[in-house]
Amino acid sequence: MTTRAEFMARIRAELGKTRGLPPATPARRPARPRVEAEAIRAELAERWPEALERFRHELEKVGGVFYRVATLAEVVPVVAGIARERAARRLVSWHAAELGGDLGPALTAQGLEPVAMPPGEVASAAERQRLRELVAAAELGLTGVDLAIAETGTLVLSSGAGRPRSTSLLPPYHIALFDRTALVESLAQAGVFLELWHADGAPGPRGAVISFITGPSRTADIELTLTRGVHGPKEVHAIFVEAPIRG
Amino acid sequence: MSQADLSIPFRRRAGRAMEDAFLQEALTIATTKFIGLRREAFDAFPEGEGLRDRAREIKEATLQHLDRYLEQLIGNVERFGGRVHFATTAAEARAVILEIGRRAGARMAVKSKSMATEEIHLNEALEEAGIVPVETDLGEYIIQLAHERPSHIIAPAIHKTKGQIADLFGKELKRTVPADPEALTQLARGELREKFLQADLGITGANFAVADTGTVVLVTNEGNGRMVTSLPRVHVAVMGVEKVVPSMSDLMVFLAILAKSATGQKLSVYTTLVQGPRRAGELEGPEEFHLVLLDNGRVDQLAGPLREALYCLRCGACLNVCPVYRQIGGHAYGHTYPGPIGILLTAMLNGPASVKELAHASSLCGACADACPVRIDIPRMLIELRRQVDEKRIAPWIERVVFESFGWLLARPLLYGLAGRIARVLQRPFVRDGAIRSLPLFGDWTRTRDLPAVASRTFRERWNELERETPR
Amino acid sequence: MTVMRASLMITCLGDMFFPEVGVSIVRLLRRLGVTVEFPQGQTCCGLPLFNSGYHAEARRVAARTVALFRDADHVVVPSGSCAWMVRHEYPGLVGEPELARDALRLAARVYELSQFLVRVLGRSEFHSTVRGRVTYHDSCHLLRGLHEAESPREVLRHLAGVEFVELPGADECCGFGGSFAVRLPEVSSQILEKKLRHVEATGAACLVACDAGCLMQMGGGLRRRGSRVRALHLAELLDGGRA
Repeated sequence: MTTRAEFMARIRAELGKTRGLPPATPARRPARPRVEAEAIRAELAERWPEALERFRHELEKVGGVFYRVATLAEVVPVVAGIARERAARRLVSWHAAELGGDLGPALTAQGLEPVAMPPGEVASAAERQRLRELVAAAELGLTGVDLAIAETGTLVLSSGAGRPRSTSLLPPYHIALFDRTALVESLAQAGVFLELWHADGAPGPRGAVISFITGPSRTADIELTLTRGVHGPKEVHAIFVEAPIRG
Repeated sequence: MSQADLSIPFRRRAGRAMEDAFLQEALTIATTKFIGLRREAFDAFPEGEGLRDRAREIKEATLQHLDRYLEQLIGNVERFGGRVHFATTAAEARAVILEIGRRAGARMAVKSKSMATEEIHLNEALEEAGIVPVETDLGEYIIQLAHERPSHIIAPAIHKTKGQIADLFGKELKRTVPADPEALTQLARGELREKFLQADLGITGANFAVADTGTVVLVTNEGNGRMVTSLPRVHVAVMGVEKVVPSMSDLMVFLAILAKSATGQKLSVYTTLVQGPRRAGELEGPEEFHLVLLDNGRVDQLAGPLREALYCLRCGACLNVCPVYRQIGGHAYGHTYPGPIGILLTAMLNGPASVKELAHASSLCGACADACPVRIDIPRMLIELRRQVDEKRIAPWIERVVFESFGWLLARPLLYGLAGRIARVLQRPFVRDGAIRSLPLFGDWTRTRDLPAVASRTFRERWNELERETPR
Repeated sequence: MTVMRASLMITCLGDMFFPEVGVSIVRLLRRLGVTVEFPQGQTCCGLPLFNSGYHAEARRVAARTVALFRDADHVVVPSGSCAWMVRHEYPGLVGEPELARDALRLAARVYELSQFLVRVLGRSEFHSTVRGRVTYHDSCHLLRGLHEAESPREVLRHLAGVEFVELPGADECCGFGGSFAVRLPEVSSQILEKKLRHVEATGAACLVACDAGCLMQMGGGLRRRGSRVRALHLAELLDGGRA
């Protein structure tokens, strides 16, 4: 088997043979990501309505559904409505601390069966298995959002304690809540936040995975016929909450 | 038509593909659609052209310091609890992955679409080792059921009808299934969902890997990439060394052009950034994360004539615009990577002799270079491969004699003129109305096209007279 | 006023198969006040050798051609592919430094015909020798090699006596590709077939191109199918025609 040393030595040897190549530089990186991220937020404090409108437009183009409500409490009837129309009841959600509020009792009152994910490490393998089966059997997945990219209608979700990857993946209907603070205009701006989250070797924001989600799961692998919901959700609903979700 | 038999000459393989009526229709529809979608995407994205230049430069900058970026990537993957493996050859890559599977006691591996694992012929090896490989990208799943190979880099099953797919699914599930894309997709969802939940091993490729953070990036539309990296206990990512990018800022440049080039989407549905195994507090995610760095002919090209092919993002745009691909589809090429870029990658993997026919499977029209998001000059490298085939005396001797004599003649204008006059005499019995319908030795031209006759007086022969003419 | 001088690079196909195109160019340029020269001893630019990988042979041909046109003010070529070869490949192909310098000078002075008319002479208004609807096929090397889509169209749009219509898929290869057309004749012919279907759908009486290779391919295909559409070089519309 090739060792790291041998492998890298061969690469260095080959690189040593290249001479006189035109100079090339990679992308410009934010020198101070925190400052740049704050600058983006500050700009968006004024421009957010345009960005939100663009987000709505792009999300709808990729087959997502957009809603706008005033407060977190108003999310409940929207979720209940989505569930009712699809004859769905079983809902799994991020932990209340990650979601920004506990919607459980209100959703239960609307006839749903919500289960919130635990906030931290689940030590027992059996319990982990039970939760996984619960998520796999759920019809609705309710999550928060770390970034909403207007340019592409994309939701960015990082995984972590209380925010399992599967909640936005296994149930056929994904419902995501976000507020103004998550909104960015472009992929380039999203890049500044990715740099910020990893700055100085930090291990990402929370868990090991960051997912960019741009509309419902799709394929065109059979005779180029567009079909939704092949592995991931077949519907993506994004609910914008006017009042900041987290203080 | 399944994978082509390489003992058959390429011209015959291409001919068979052109006789396949369904394939012909499917190719025309698919490539025309992809071309249109790509064009619309870039028309609506004025900054796209500039970003393509940037992306190209980033690839070049990365290759120039590949050692540094790979060391950085390796260090970061290990820092987050992942393991990195080094494979110089395809066989070595297979052995590494099988060993990981064996240690994990894996019985089944779910796979997310990956050309790198196609390239190393991983599935056969897994099967032999008693690990059932399950392709989970719908298109790959279809061709796996059919025991074929992908015919397009991003649309592996475009050569199959829904009827054929319904038959395949019916055989697998042992019942009749409707030939309806929606119903077939839902069936596959149900079947594969079970496998995701059962499998011990998840195998993916990598569209990118970010050196600065140790992140492997997967781009999919179906969500299978997320499944494969979240549900099985072990995740193995296989990636060519050239896929590393320096930072998240670089990644964003590529993301902005990749999907637009491939399918015309602004972004694919899922871009999944994976930084090692499950973190504390996470409900799911693999306990083990392995990154297999693959050379398999790539490193030789860092200073080689095919260096620029290392920029390739595997978007498939060059296939869609290639007039040859559009007539013959992917299988006729006979290798893992079809189309114009595929010829270069095949040469990279297997040496120039392996493409002595394929190097000529291009009219050098340049549409590929034009469509390539990172502007890889594919025609130039095809010519270079032809040169190597010629120089290493791999080309048939008769061809070499013809071209070398032609070259000799072109340097001797008097003899050249004489040759023209001889041709004029020889062609006489065949000329009708200034053109030739059929000519011995020239059947490959005249079967479908008239050949213009050598003019009764060539331009050189008319010049003296023309020189004396006064302007009208 | 100094008299503009231009040397004609007739090319192998132009010399043997399409001499009337050369004649049209000479007459046209003279009428526009250009003194046309024709360096003796021309054969071929070497592109067929170069593209097939026979670079040593191509280098000898290129060296000859560079020497032949050393004193030319401007070089006019009736084929985009040959103009591209001279402009893009010669400087890197010819070995010795002195010849390479000459090749670079030549590269800067070589034009495909429509480029010379529009970009050098600033002339785009002509009378047509044919009547009716005409359409235009972009030759690959002219379009993607020399990035010239506009000059031929500029001429055709202003051409008195014809109606210019765009050809769907005009930028797609006709399937010629030099030796490609005989190495893979079935593939080449099927590409051609699709091209000609588009051509006939335009209802044009005349298909115009600026490359002898494409004209050989498309003209040969049109004749074989007994089409009423004629394949003509741009020069033939601007002067003389094919009798």
